[in-house]
Amino acid sequence: MLRGLNLEVGCGERVALLGPSGAGKTTLLRVINGVIVPRSGSVEVQGVNLRNLEPRAQRQLRSRIGFVHQDHSLVSNLRVLHNVVAGRLGQRGFWSSLRGIVRTSQADLLEVHRILERVGIGDKLYQRTDSLSGGQQQRVALARALFQQPKMLLADEPVASVDPTRSRDLLSLMTELAAEEGWTLVVSLHDFELAREFFPRVIGLRHGTVFFDGLAADLTPLMVAELYSLEGTADEQRI
Amino acid sequence: MSKEFKTLPTPPRLPTRRARILLGILLAAVLAFVGLDLSLFDLVPSGGGLELAGKFFSAAFQPAWQYQDASNLPADISPFLLQVGRGLWTTLTYAVAAISLSIVGGMVLGLLASASFWERRSGTWGVVRWSVRVLIAAMRSIHEILFAVVFLATLGITPAAAVLAIAIPYTGTLAKVFSEMLDESPRAAADALAYLGATPLQVFFLGRLPNAIPDIAAYSFYRFECAVRSSAVLGFFGFTTIGLYLRQSFENLHYREVWTYLYALILVVALLEVWSSQLRRKFVA
Repeated sequence: MLRGLNLEVGCGERVALLGPSGAGKTTLLRVINGVIVPRSGSVEVQGVNLRNLEPRAQRQLRSRIGFVHQDHSLVSNLRVLHNVVAGRLGQRGFWSSLRGIVRTSQADLLEVHRILERVGIGDKLYQRTDSLSGGQQQRVALARALFQQPKMLLADEPVASVDPTRSRDLLSLMTELAAEEGWTLVVSLHDFELAREFFPRVIGLRHGTVFFDGLAADLTPLMVAELYSLEGTADEQRI
Repeated sequence: MSKEFKTLPTPPRLPTRRARILLGILLAAVLAFVGLDLSLFDLVPSGGGLELAGKFFSAAFQPAWQYQDASNLPADISPFLLQVGRGLWTTLTYAVAAISLSIVGGMVLGLLASASFWERRSGTWGVVRWSVRVLIAAMRSIHEILFAVVFLATLGITPAAAVLAIAIPYTGTLAKVFSEMLDESPRAAADALAYLGATPLQVFFLGRLPNAIPDIAAYSFYRFECAVRSSAVLGFFGFTTIGLYLRQSFENLHYREVWTYLYALILVVALLEVWSSQLRRKFVA
């Protein structure tokens, strides 16, 4: 799906991925965290070449990359606390992670509470996750990423299931956190306005290739219209 | 306008496949009736049968509070209602013991038989999964009554024989249903854990299993009710559950006693149902 990509994202950079459905935004994010290995070409993340990684090394790399999904990424009938504690699964053994859920240590508890306060839902610590609104659940996903302490955060349409005002709040929180924690941030979005508001750099994908890569300020409405236009092959329309 | 009519999609072909399957089921039913030489006249009891049925069902309105025939009783027998209570108690203890074993065994085998447990692992583990599935099929293809007959012959009338006879087929059934529930539990959350570096074991136990737990608990409770019934039936083979006393009263033609035992059993199953539906509401809500 992705063809002829040659991208470089610097440490601590904030990048928005734009493009119509099926352009390859999700695929690109999955390539970055090693879930999908490209058939040809090479991908290097945090100095690690993703080709032929041992499962163990692959998990180690992923534990340093946070990932926020569009929705349904939390275990719905666990408490918020336990979903956040799950952020460190990649760094903990099986029994220690099981203990983290059955009997959370005082240190973890305090840290999770501090993180939840930071994302604005400190009072939800012991709530069942599925009792929260969509926007609050995305904050839990962010809290899980914070607890994970990654070097980089990838987010796949994190605000597609959240209403417009709350999307703004969530993205502004996400970019603030990225600045505080020094995360490299790569976020796929549908909304061009949101991308321009929160991200200095925008990469537009179309047909699995880079259509635009540059400063958000340089992106003109005409280019956006062209990025999303359905003209062209019937193939694209079917997608 | 006419153009729109032209572009109307052609309707799918008549659902002949479905019709064929329905016809097949119907045919099987007819064949079964013909093969068994059943006729509706068989449902009308003969003269003596009719009288017996009348006696039996009229006793339903006057269940016994004590032994119907006090003249012929052994000296050391306990009062009737105590006997009913004791029968119920053994019935329940056998059922609890059997279902506890089955839930533990069913969980272990259910995990090993589920596709989601072996996900993200090499395909050679499929051998383990399929062997477990064959084992499960074998366990539940034999009814608890057949197991009871076998264990009666080998172990005698012991609690262990009754508990094992119930536990083995129940383990098989629970394992099969648990494995299906695990595989049906939503996978998106589990995938998300894999994305942040969790091992396959962590993904399964912390991402997949928690969402299946409410269904697993509800189904276990339902099977517990079934175990109570099975335990009662095993009394007919001499185990000291309520079925034993029920059979004795039936053979002595003490139908009013029979109805007391039946009402007691119905009451217990009804109470369990009330309790389980409360638990279910708590779990699923």
